[in-house]
Amino acid sequence: MSTFAPPVQRLITELGKLPGIGGRTAQRLAFHLLRASEEDALALADAIREVKSRIGLCEVCFNLADGPRCRICSDERRDAAVVCVVEEPSDIIPIERTHEFHGRYHVLGGALSPIDGVDPEDLRIAELYRRVTGEPEEGRDPIREVVLATNPTTTGEATALHIAEQLREKAPQVTVTRLASGLPVGADLEYADELTLGRALAGRRALS
Amino acid sequence: MRVVRLSLRNFRSYESADVELGAGLTVVTGRNGAGKTNLLDALYFGCTGRSARTTNDRELVRFGQKVTRVEVETEADDGPHRLSVGFEAGQPKRLTADGVRVERLLDVPGRPLVSVFLPDRLELVKGTPSLRRAHVDQVVAALWPARTTTRRGYAQALAQRNALLTRVRDGAVSPTSLAAWDRELARHGIALMADRAAAIDAVAERFGAIAADLGLDGDPRVAYRPRSKATDADGLVAELEERRTSDLERGFSGHGPHRDDLALTRDGRELRAYGSQGQQRLALLALLLAEREAIAATRDAVPVMLLDDVMSELDRERRGRLVELLRGVGQSVVTTTDLEHVPGGDGADVRRLRVEDGEVRADDLREQP
Repeated sequence: MSTFAPPVQRLITELGKLPGIGGRTAQRLAFHLLRASEEDALALADAIREVKSRIGLCEVCFNLADGPRCRICSDERRDAAVVCVVEEPSDIIPIERTHEFHGRYHVLGGALSPIDGVDPEDLRIAELYRRVTGEPEEGRDPIREVVLATNPTTTGEATALHIAEQLREKAPQVTVTRLASGLPVGADLEYADELTLGRALAGRRALS
Repeated sequence: MRVVRLSLRNFRSYESADVELGAGLTVVTGRNGAGKTNLLDALYFGCTGRSARTTNDRELVRFGQKVTRVEVETEADDGPHRLSVGFEAGQPKRLTADGVRVERLLDVPGRPLVSVFLPDRLELVKGTPSLRRAHVDQVVAALWPARTTTRRGYAQALAQRNALLTRVRDGAVSPTSLAAWDRELARHGIALMADRAAAIDAVAERFGAIAADLGLDGDPRVAYRPRSKATDADGLVAELEERRTSDLERGFSGHGPHRDDLALTRDGRELRAYGSQGQQRLALLALLLAEREAIAATRDAVPVMLLDDVMSELDRERRGRLVELLRGVGQSVVTTTDLEHVPGGDGADVRRLRVEDGEVRADDLREQP
């Protein structure tokens, strides 16, 4: 039996479905919204509605987009010859923050995980091959390099290995690279975890 | 790092006990069935959160009681630590380290390594390879704590590959991504094989000498028996490819380090099949002692050795040799029905405990002439 009127309970239930929000936090948020001015509360509702109705996926790279193409794919200054492959749209944000990457992206929508029933067909891998092997759009360079930036987890590594192998076959002219694993910059060696440090050691380079 | 004190409430045959351990050797005497083994198991339980004898924790609660609790106080370089394990039937175990609740005791500060010799553990010599693999992986973890991630990575990749094999077999997906999983499995697999080989290498050189010391004749040896002959990831990938058809038929991976074994031999013949019970026991004891030496030589942590009733089957000379080994380094707890069976057991550096009527008392040797 619920203590609250059904509409309040419904709001709490819906908020509780959000990641990282437990029952108590959901309740707190619900009461906050109840106390808030109508204007503020409805602004949130509108924002949710707008995002769901206007934001779709970019037809080229499957990043989030408010039109047929995302901002990066519509930006003519970006290098169309280099494509960085990521698992989720949220993975683009940290890479963009570096200002080091001037190419474009391709969002897979996840990583291979047979246990969860995620196979190559469930990801936007075929679309990537089409993009790499197809004719470039007018005035743009053909794709020269694919950077695999899937997560360094078992599923992310297998996904990268799968794509790399298929690309070698389908597009041997394209260079396939993988993000390096190693030490965080500015960090103390003594605080590095063993796995990261182990990878960093395995991938060490001669100082020229 | 050493265990200073053990306290238990309603653990197996005990209502309660508070026991101080010696810095080196502790000898627990008592008649058969007095509860000597239970005391060792309590120490194991308090240090690891698991029983050395049963996977059914309900058996650990004293008959007629609901809750059992074991506390272990340790002394490490950085000061004292306190571990506790509480169990109530039907509830998740409550593990704490220095008063803070933890998921597992495996990686908390102040947790001593423990190595235990119980009659039940003979399965390690006689039983299925999976027990020996798990044991080798524990030795790897004790020698190089950071390398536990290798085994976890391998297990994850194996589970994924097996899931994929089943899905391909059932026609749910095409096998195109199998090659990627072969490679991912091989990467972890080669690392796991290297870890196991290195661990057994460190143990093997010591095993022969200790086994001979304890009276196991016939050139006793311990050797790693990897399933794969591969020396690098490419080699393992090739082996996996060769077996792909049969893997697909069965829906699981039939090849790789998850099929490895550890061989204990005497004159080239496996003790598992050809050894007598006595030889198997000596081999197990030698293996545990060799591992302890290897761990002591690699890092600043000597496992606390728990030995249940080993003296009865050794002759006087071998008993003396074992006690010498135990007194040499680290902490150990030995149970016996008769203090006479532990040469030097009346020494000033030895802590003596007596188990009687469900209680543990310090034995100050008053009755000795």
